[in-house]
Amino acid sequence: MTTATAPPARRGSRAGARGTRGEQVAGYAFISPFFLVFAVFGLFPLLFTFWVSLHDWDLLGTRSWVGLGNYTALLEDEDFWNALVNTLGIFVLSTVPQLLVALALAQLLNQRLRARTLWRMGVLLPNITSIAAVGIIFTLLFARDFGLVNWLLGHVGVDPITWQEHRWSSWLAISTMVDWRWTGYNALIFLAALQAVPRELYEAAQIDGASPVSQFRHITVPMLRPTIVFATLVATIGGIQLFTEPLLFNSGANAITGGTTRQFQTLTMYLYEQAFTGQEFGYASTVAWMMFLVILVVAVVNALLLRRLRGVA
Amino acid sequence: MTLHRPRRPARTAAAIGLILTSAAAFAGCGGAEGADGGDTTLRVAIFGDFGYEKLYDQFEAEHPGVKIVETSEGDLGKYNTALTQKIAAGSAPGDVVAIEEGQVVNFLASADKFVNFQDHGSNDRKDQWLPWKYEQATTADGTDTIGLGTDVGGMAMCYRRDLFERAGLPTDRTEVAALWPTWEEFTKVGEQFQEGIGTDDVHFIDSATNTYNSILMQSADETYFDPDGELVIESNPAVKEAWDTALGMSEAGISARLKSFSTEWTAGFKSGSFATVACPAWMTNNIKENTGAEGEGLWDITTVPGGGGNWGGSFLAVPTSSDHQDLAVELVDFLTSAEGQLGAFEATGNLPSNPTLYDTPELQQATNPYFNDAPTGQLFVAGARNLQPVYLGAKNQPVRDAVENAMRSVENGDTSPADGWDAAVEDAEKAAG
Amino acid sequence: MTAQLERVEPAVVRRPEAPAPARPRRRLGVSPTVVVLALVTVVSAFPLYFMLVMASRPNGDITSVPPPLTPGGELWTNLERVLSNADVGFGRAVLNSLLVSGVATVCVVLFSCLAGFAFAKLRFVGRQPLLGFVLLTMMVPVQLGLIPLYMLMTKLHLVGTLPAVTLPFVVSGFGVFLMRQFVVQAVPDELLEAARLDGASILQTFWYVVLPVLRPAAAVLALLTFMERWNDFLWPYLVLDLDHPTVQTALSRLAGGYYTDQALVMAGTLLGVLPLLAVFLLFGRQIVGGIMEGGIKS
Repeated sequence: MTTATAPPARRGSRAGARGTRGEQVAGYAFISPFFLVFAVFGLFPLLFTFWVSLHDWDLLGTRSWVGLGNYTALLEDEDFWNALVNTLGIFVLSTVPQLLVALALAQLLNQRLRARTLWRMGVLLPNITSIAAVGIIFTLLFARDFGLVNWLLGHVGVDPITWQEHRWSSWLAISTMVDWRWTGYNALIFLAALQAVPRELYEAAQIDGASPVSQFRHITVPMLRPTIVFATLVATIGGIQLFTEPLLFNSGANAITGGTTRQFQTLTMYLYEQAFTGQEFGYASTVAWMMFLVILVVAVVNALLLRRLRGVA
Repeated sequence: MTLHRPRRPARTAAAIGLILTSAAAFAGCGGAEGADGGDTTLRVAIFGDFGYEKLYDQFEAEHPGVKIVETSEGDLGKYNTALTQKIAAGSAPGDVVAIEEGQVVNFLASADKFVNFQDHGSNDRKDQWLPWKYEQATTADGTDTIGLGTDVGGMAMCYRRDLFERAGLPTDRTEVAALWPTWEEFTKVGEQFQEGIGTDDVHFIDSATNTYNSILMQSADETYFDPDGELVIESNPAVKEAWDTALGMSEAGISARLKSFSTEWTAGFKSGSFATVACPAWMTNNIKENTGAEGEGLWDITTVPGGGGNWGGSFLAVPTSSDHQDLAVELVDFLTSAEGQLGAFEATGNLPSNPTLYDTPELQQATNPYFNDAPTGQLFVAGARNLQPVYLGAKNQPVRDAVENAMRSVENGDTSPADGWDAAVEDAEKAAG
Repeated sequence: MTAQLERVEPAVVRRPEAPAPARPRRRLGVSPTVVVLALVTVVSAFPLYFMLVMASRPNGDITSVPPPLTPGGELWTNLERVLSNADVGFGRAVLNSLLVSGVATVCVVLFSCLAGFAFAKLRFVGRQPLLGFVLLTMMVPVQLGLIPLYMLMTKLHLVGTLPAVTLPFVVSGFGVFLMRQFVVQAVPDELLEAARLDGASILQTFWYVVLPVLRPAAAVLALLTFMERWNDFLWPYLVLDLDHPTVQTALSRLAGGYYTDQALVMAGTLLGVLPLLAVFLLFGRQIVGGIMEGGIKS
C-alpha cells in the first residue's frame, strides 16, 4: 500500500477515465480487505446455500438432488406469497414514515443548540437497548390484559385489542416497534451527512429570506441525495429481512408462524420455520435466494423512484 | 484550513500494521484459550430445570478431576433450534445434551451423530425404563439407541382452591376429582364455575390448545402420524374428538384464550386469570415459579379427566462430537439411573420414567408443600400407570403447530370451527411435506 | 481550502429559487426546535426508562394494571443478584464484549474508510461492478448463512472462541457503502488535487486529508458498529461456549429455567447497557465536533 505514490497526471474529469497505475494499485489495495474477508466468511455460506437449495435436503437426514424443483414449488406456495405480502406491507408501513421523520429530525439536530451532544445521542437511545429487551418491553406494552397501550386506549373508550390477532393491528404494532428502534439511527446517519453541508449555504439562504421548509427542500434534500439513496437502500434491505421484531412480538408457543393465520409472518420467519421447525434445509435455502431476488427488485424500484424524485426537484 | 505537512508514510503504515497484527494476535490467543489444564470438563446442555445440581456434586466427588458445567435454556423452541443447528453442522452444545420427546424422532434420522448406548450395554438394563420410553429413542430396526429416558410427563390437573371456593365449587382434591371423570363432565363443571364466579376476568381453563393436547395425548397410541410415518390426522378419530371437545369448552365461554407460554399466559398465573391448568409433572415447577412465593397454598393437584396420559418428558444423549464420550456416557447412565431419577424428582417434581421407582416410599409418600401438600408422587404415578406409548413422528412439531394455530384462530373468533378444521388439515398436510 | 469550497458553493446556492417571505426570527422563550427534540428524547428514552422501572421492582409488579411507571426500591437487590450469579460471570463477559466489539469496530471503520475512498475517488478497472458487488453482499439474508458459517468455523477450529464472533464482522458492506456515499458528498476533488500538488502520496492524502474530513461519518459508523456487535446475540449464542461469554450470551443465562424473572433480566440488561453509554459519549463528542464548525470558518 505504501508504495502507491500520487500520480503526476492530471485529475480532471473522473467519469470513465482510467486511473494511473498508482491509482489502480492503491484502489485494489484499499478495497482488498473487504473482499478478502468477504470471500472467506460471506461467499462460502452464500454459495453453499445455493447448492443446498437445489436439493431436497433434510437438515438432519437424507438429501437428494431436485434441481430447480424447490423453486417451482415455492412459486406455488401460498404461505410464501403471504409472507411476501406481509413483509412488503410492514416494510412500507414502517420505512416511509421512518425516513421522513429521520430526515426532519436530522435537520433539527443540525441547528445550533445548547447541549447538542445530549440531543443528538438521545435519539439513538432506542437502538442502544438490546433487541431482546425491546422485545420484552413491547410485548408488555401491547399486552391484551395489562398493556400500557390498551390501558391508555381504555380511557377513550376503546375495548382491549388483541394486537397479535389481526393483520392490521399486528402490522401497526410491529411497524411502531421498528420505527421506534430505527428512526434515530437514520437521523444520525443523515446528521453526519448534513454536517458536511457548508453552513454558509443555510446562512446565505436565511439572508435571502428562505423559510426552513424551503431550505429543507432546496438545500438539504439535494445535498443529501447520496445519503438518502443509501439510507433507503439499507432500510429496504433491513425491512425485507425483518425477523426479530415480529418474532418477539409473538411471545409463547409457535412464535415463528407469526400469528394463528400467519398474519404477520415475514419472509425470514418463514425461512426460519422451514429450516428449523420443518427441517427442510433445501426449501429454506430456496426461500433465502428468492428473498435475495426480492431485495434486488425492490432496490431497483427504489432507485428508479428516487431518480424521478430528482427530476422533479 | 491548510493541509497538515506530509509526514512519512511509514508511520501510517506502521499504525495500520499495528492494528492488523494486534487483531491477528488477538485471533491467535483466542484460539489457544480453549485448552484446559489437566482437569476434564463435562458440559451438559439442557432446557428448563432438570434438578441435577446435587447429582453433579455426587458424580464429581466420585470422579476426581471431573468438573460438570450445565447450561440451561429457558425457551424450549430456542433450545431445539440451537441444538438442531449444531448437530446439523457436525457439532453439539455439550458432551451431554437433553432431547425433548417431540424432537427425538428427528434426531433418530441422524443417529450416527449420537453415541449408541447399546454399545455401552443399555439393552441389558432395558427394564429401567418404561418399555415405550426406551423405544422412543431407539431406531426402527432396534439396533441403535441414541438417548436414555429421564422423566415422563405423567398427567394430572392443577386447580386454584381460592377460585373454586369463590365459584362455590368444592376445594378438596378427592371431591374435585369426583366432579370430572370425563372431559364432558369437566366442561360442565367449567360452566358451573363460570356461572358461580360471575366475572369475565376469571375463566375455568387457560386455553383450548393446552386442554386439546392433554386430551389428545391420553386418547390414542398415535396422534398425527402412524408408525409408518403416514399423516393420519383425518383418519384418526382421536384427533377430531380432542379438537371438538377442546373447542366445545371455548364455545361454552370457559376459556381465558391465553396462548401457552406467552407473556400474558405467564402473567395469568399471578393475576388468577384461570382456575385450572392441565398439568404434566414438569408443569408443577412452572406453576410455582409463575405464581410466586405469595401464591403458596392457592394451587392444588388432582387427577386429570380421562385418566392419566403423557405429555412431554425427555432423554439425555451423547453427541459423537464430544471429546469425552465414555465419561459422558457414564454421567448419562448415572443421571438416568433409579438413583438419578429419584434425585431429579425430589428437586423438581419431574416424574421418573423408571417404573421400578413407582412403588417406592420415596414416590408414594412424596408431597408438594406449594400445592397444599398434594400427594404429587401418588397422583402422577397413578397417571403414569395408565400411560399409553404415543408415537409422534418426525414432523410432529410442525403439524402440531399448524393444528394449534388453526384452533387458536377459531378460539379467537376469526374462523368458524368447520373452516378451522379444514385449515388445520390442509396446513398439517403441507407441514408434513 | 476555503477558496476551493467557495468554488463549489455557488452551484448549490443558486438552487433555492423560491423567494420565501422573510420571517421574523424567533428570539423569545423556548424555540419550537427544543420542544420537538425534547418530545423525541422522551419517547426515545422510554425503553431505557421502562427497563429501569422493571429492574427496580419485584417481578410480580411488571404485569400489574395499570402498568407501573415509576421506579421501585429493588434496584440494588436485582443488580446484586445479577452480579453475584457465578453462572453469568458478568465481569468477564464485559471484557470479552469490549474486546470483540472494539476490534470489529476499529477494523470496520478503517477498512470502510479505505474502501469507501477508493470506490469514490480512485479510478481502477472494475470499480463500478465491484461496488455493485458490495451492495449485493448486503442483500444476503443472514439467518440461513448461520449453518454454513458454523461448519466453516468448525473446520477452522474456531468454534467456541472469540475470533469466531469477530472475524466475520471485521468488514461490512454497509460500512463501505456508507463511507463511499459520504466521500462522494464531502470530499471535493479540488481538495485531493491540492494534496497532490503538495506532493502527497495517495496513502498520505487518505490519512491526512480524507480521513479528517470523514471524522463525523466515521464516528457514526463506529458507534453503530459497536452497538451492533455489542448487542449481537444469535451468532454468538450459537458459536460461543461457556468459557467465552459475551454480555448478551451471559445475560441469556439469567432467563434459564422454564420461568423468566423479568426483573432480573432487565437488571442485567441495564448493566449491559452501561458500557455502551460510555462508548456513546466517546463517539458522541466526535460526531458533535463535526468538521465544518472549525474547518470552514478559518
